[in-house]
Order: sequence, then C-alpha cells, then structure tokens
Amino acid sequence: MTELKGRDADPAASQSAAALPGPTSAEGARRQGRASEGGMGRWVGARRRAARKQERLEEQDSAIPVELYGLRRGTVTLLTTLAFLFAIFTLVPIAWIVINSTKTQANIFETFGFWFASPFSFFHNFSLLFQNVDGYGTYIQWFGNTALYAVIGGVGATALSAFAGYGFSRFSFRSSKVLFYLTLAALLVPITALTLPLYLTYAKAHLINSIWGMILPSMISPVGIYLMKVYTDISVPRELIDAARIDGGGEARIFFRVALPLMVPGLMTVLLISVVAVWNNYFLPLLIFNVNTKYPLTVGLGLWSERAQNSGNAQLFPMVVIGGLVTIIPLIVLFLLLQRYWRGGLLLGSIAN
Amino acid sequence: MVPFLVGFVLFMIVPLVYAIYTSLYTTKIIGGTVFSGASNYTQTLQSSQFWSGVVRVIIYAAIQIPVMLAIAFFFACVFDLGVAKFGRTFRTIFFIPFAVPAVVGAVMWSFLLEPQFGPMVHLANAFGFSGTNFFSPSLILPSIIVIVIWEWTGYNMVILYTALKSVPRDVVEAAILDDTPLWRIIVRIKLPLVRPAIVMLIFLNTIGALQLFTEPLILSYFETGAVSANYTPTLYLYNTAIAADQTNLAAAGAVILGLVIVVISTASLLFRRRRGEFS
Repeated sequence: MTELKGRDADPAASQSAAALPGPTSAEGARRQGRASEGGMGRWVGARRRAARKQERLEEQDSAIPVELYGLRRGTVTLLTTLAFLFAIFTLVPIAWIVINSTKTQANIFETFGFWFASPFSFFHNFSLLFQNVDGYGTYIQWFGNTALYAVIGGVGATALSAFAGYGFSRFSFRSSKVLFYLTLAALLVPITALTLPLYLTYAKAHLINSIWGMILPSMISPVGIYLMKVYTDISVPRELIDAARIDGGGEARIFFRVALPLMVPGLMTVLLISVVAVWNNYFLPLLIFNVNTKYPLTVGLGLWSERAQNSGNAQLFPMVVIGGLVTIIPLIVLFLLLQRYWRGGLLLGSIAN
Repeated sequence: MVPFLVGFVLFMIVPLVYAIYTSLYTTKIIGGTVFSGASNYTQTLQSSQFWSGVVRVIIYAAIQIPVMLAIAFFFACVFDLGVAKFGRTFRTIFFIPFAVPAVVGAVMWSFLLEPQFGPMVHLANAFGFSGTNFFSPSLILPSIIVIVIWEWTGYNMVILYTALKSVPRDVVEAAILDDTPLWRIIVRIKLPLVRPAIVMLIFLNTIGALQLFTEPLILSYFETGAVSANYTPTLYLYNTAIAADQTNLAAAGAVILGLVIVVISTASLLFRRRRGEFS
C-alpha cells in the first residue's frame, strides 16, 4: 500500500508515476519531454545501441523512455490522434447536453445540435426544474430524494463494509470463510438480479413507496465489503492490532482508534463507489416507487422522457435536457475532485485478483 | 459484522426465498392463489418471448464485450507505455461516462440518434447514408452497443491500466535489450500477465450484459416500438410483473435468470481457483 500513500502525498505525479513505486514527478516530466524526441539512435550500431539502452534504463528507475521501444517516426502522433478521436466520442453527448440546455424546445429539434441558438433559454429551462409541470413531479424534489438516498445509503454502505471487511480480515470464527465466499458470490450477482424478488417481498410487506425500501438494500454492498477486507489485509498491520490487544484495549476501541484511521483511503473509495451506485440506480426505484414525490432523478427523468414522447407533453423535452445536465454535474465534479481515490480503489480491485 | 449479516439475510436471502415461493403458485381471477408446482417454470421455459430475449442478450454480449475490451486494452497499453501525449488528461476524459447514470446516458444518445431530428442522422446523411434510422430493427442493437461502449470503456480501461502497471519492469527491460518489437512485448509479455484482470472483466461484463435493461427501455420511450416488451430477459420480467401483473410468472423468470447468472459466476470462480488466479 506504499504505492497508494506515495501517490496521495504527490498528486502532481505524472501518469506513469501513478502506480509504480517510488517515482517522482520530476522523472515523469523528464520522460514526457523525451516522448517527443522520437526514434533517435536508430542508425547507431546494434551493440552500441544495446549499451545505450542499458545506460538509459539504469539512469531511469521509473518509466521506460519511449524512444527505447524502437517505434517508427510518427507513432506517438498517430496514437495521440486516436486517443483524441476517442475523447471526442466520449465528450460528444456531454457537449450536446450542455449546448442544448440553453435552447428552447423548438430549437432543440430545429437547429444544429452542436451550436447555440437564440433565444438563450438556459435560465428559463432551469427555472422549470423548480416547478411541477403538468403534475409529473418536481425535479428539485427528485434531486433532494436522490441526494438523501445516496448520502444515507452511501454512508451506511461504507460503515457496514468497514465493520464487515475488518471482521473478515481480522477474526476467523466458525463459518467465517463460508460467509466470505457467500459475499464473493453475491459480488458477482449485481443488484438488478435481486431487484424483482425484492419488489415482490416489498409488495407483500407493504414497503412499496417506503424510502427505507430504497435505502436499506443500498447499504448492503458486497463490493464494499470485499474491498474493505482486502484493504484491511494490506493496510492494517496484524502486529499493531496484537500489540493493542496486549495493551488491554477493547476490540471496539482498537477498531475505532487504531484500525479505522489506517483504513481512511479505502473508506473514501467505498463511499465514492456506493454513492455513485445509489445515484445511478434505476431499476429498483422504478419498481418500488409509484408516487412521483418519492422518485429519484433517474426515474423522474425516465418518466419525463416517456411522457414527452408519448403523451404529447413536448414542453418536457427541454426539461429532460437540463435535468440530465444537472444530474451529471455533481458526480463529474465529485470524480474530478476525488480522482486519486477512484484510481486507488480500482487499483485495489486489480491487486486483489 | 452482525448488521451486515442481518441486512444480507433480509435483503438478499429473504427476497430470493420469497421469489422461489411465489414462483410455485398461480393467481387466477377466479379461484384465487393456488399451488401450481413447476407450471410457471415450464411456461417460462417454453415461452419464445423469454428465449428470444435470452438469445438477443447473448448476441449482444458476444459483440459488445470483445469490442469494448479491445478498445480498453488498446488505450490501457498506450497510456501504460506512455506512447501518446497527454495520457493523464485522456484517462480522466475517458472515465467521465462512468459518472453518468445509464438513464441520462441513454437519454443523451436517444436525442443524438433520434430518427427525425438527431444530429447523428444528419451526419449519416451528409456522408451519403441517406435514410439511416438508428432506431430501425436492424440498427437498434448496434445503437445500444455503441451507447454501452460509451458508458463502460473508460472504467474497463482504468482497471486494465492499473493491472498493466503491476507488470514487473525488469521483464520489459530485458525484452527491450533483446530488441523485441513493441507489439511483441505487449502480446507476449503484458497480455499474459494481465490475463487475470481480463478474465475478471469478461465475467463481470457478461453478468452485466445479461441484465441489459435501462438503455433499451429509455430508447423505447423515444421511439415507440423500437424495442419490444421482451427485448431482453430483464425487460420481459419487468413487463410481465408490472404491465401484465403476472407476478408469479415473473418470479419464476427471475429465478431462472438468477440461476443462469449464478451458474456463470460459480463457473468463473471455480475456473479461476483451479488456475490459482483467485485466492
């Protein structure tokens, strides 16, 4: 886990520094500079070339300089262009939704999709998010619902994952292994496979339209438990726990005072993953809520899309567009701010397998 | 530990058991609910609607997953080797769709692909493909595949990238000193070493693909009839339970779909354990 810590201390490290132990941002920058030199040294004799490669590799203890790969001239440009094209593909829908959030309903359909048109209708569209147009529900209320479900569900999932992950990591009791395998099995069955059974159970238990029917299942996160177990295994030294036990600390005290502070980066990752999972969940709320005051954003926007097309409520189209934009902004901002955590979390996932 | 176990039992085990229980009964308009044994199962298994959805998601998975993983692996290698400029910026951009809910992603793409006004249709016309309809029966599946590739490539790329970062440096160095061409380093050294990560992604993506739901449902909102009520198994279950109100039948379908997924998961775990890739 030194890798993660090192990265936390130096967020400016280049991409190559991200996962290799030890490298500094200066080395990253040097390597980047070299990327532009191209295939130098191709005319030097093979033996001298090998010697030079050896030299280069020794002086450089992080990333391998690009020119040593013996690439053809222009390869870097070609690959950068390909990455650029895929970046455009990725950003096209985002650009479209930003531009069209400023348009009136007629202009969304009648003007060129990738440029602005007058009148500038952004603020009018935005104000509609605070109104209950045609009685299909108020966007701002759905936003509040989503935030509520995501925060309580996400914090709950993180807390439960921390307890359970620490438990699986530090205590071996009867059947703990069986339970962990059960958790792993659940890891491979995403929530959508369980949603219909959950809905049937709620219908029987009169939990339809209960917000707890949405929040409580979100707190059960096999992915979170798995990540926390792996993270505890590698970041909380067993000797430290044993020493604390010898000193006579109670188990609860040891967990909160000794282990938990060491688990913080892992906890942030699980929190991020859980919040996103609830924020983006569609199938469960679609089934269990049938009054629009309880809807999260996903179900509300789905309803608007359907009504706009099929019930002739075309004035809902600009609301779908701006509503979609407002839905994705908080998460994109969250991801950009917490980059090092999701990178760390995914790293954990790949170490563990 | 205990709260998790209680939650695990309440929200995973109980619903499954109740679904199995429900699936064994049949509710009739006259006569109420009666025990009907396996009849819901035979009805589902004999239903061409159910199976056409199953076949469709298998075809979908067989195309979408290899294409997406190929793109993801390609860019993961490019960024890992540092052979493109601005790698860090590109990685961040590629990952953005992961933060976009599938509903919003599908809504955005529906607007872009919409047959009458969508900018993509104008683009296709400009390139000489006049009369292109991305929501037509022949193009709807490719459209869904493009949307899902848009949503998930970045996430898969970041996982492969972190896996590639763990390939020991000295192995690659030795290959370079032997004048091994770059593509051979990738295919012969890096690819085998990140195999476990690729296997994991194949299984996770397969499980996700078998439950395809949100994208076709949203597309069907934009173009009625573009997607049938039984387009995917999950859509079939949804429409059987909600629209047709046949909960017993839907429960049987959920159990069958769940079993298929569990079989795939278990097979993958056993396969990986035997290969020593899984601890």
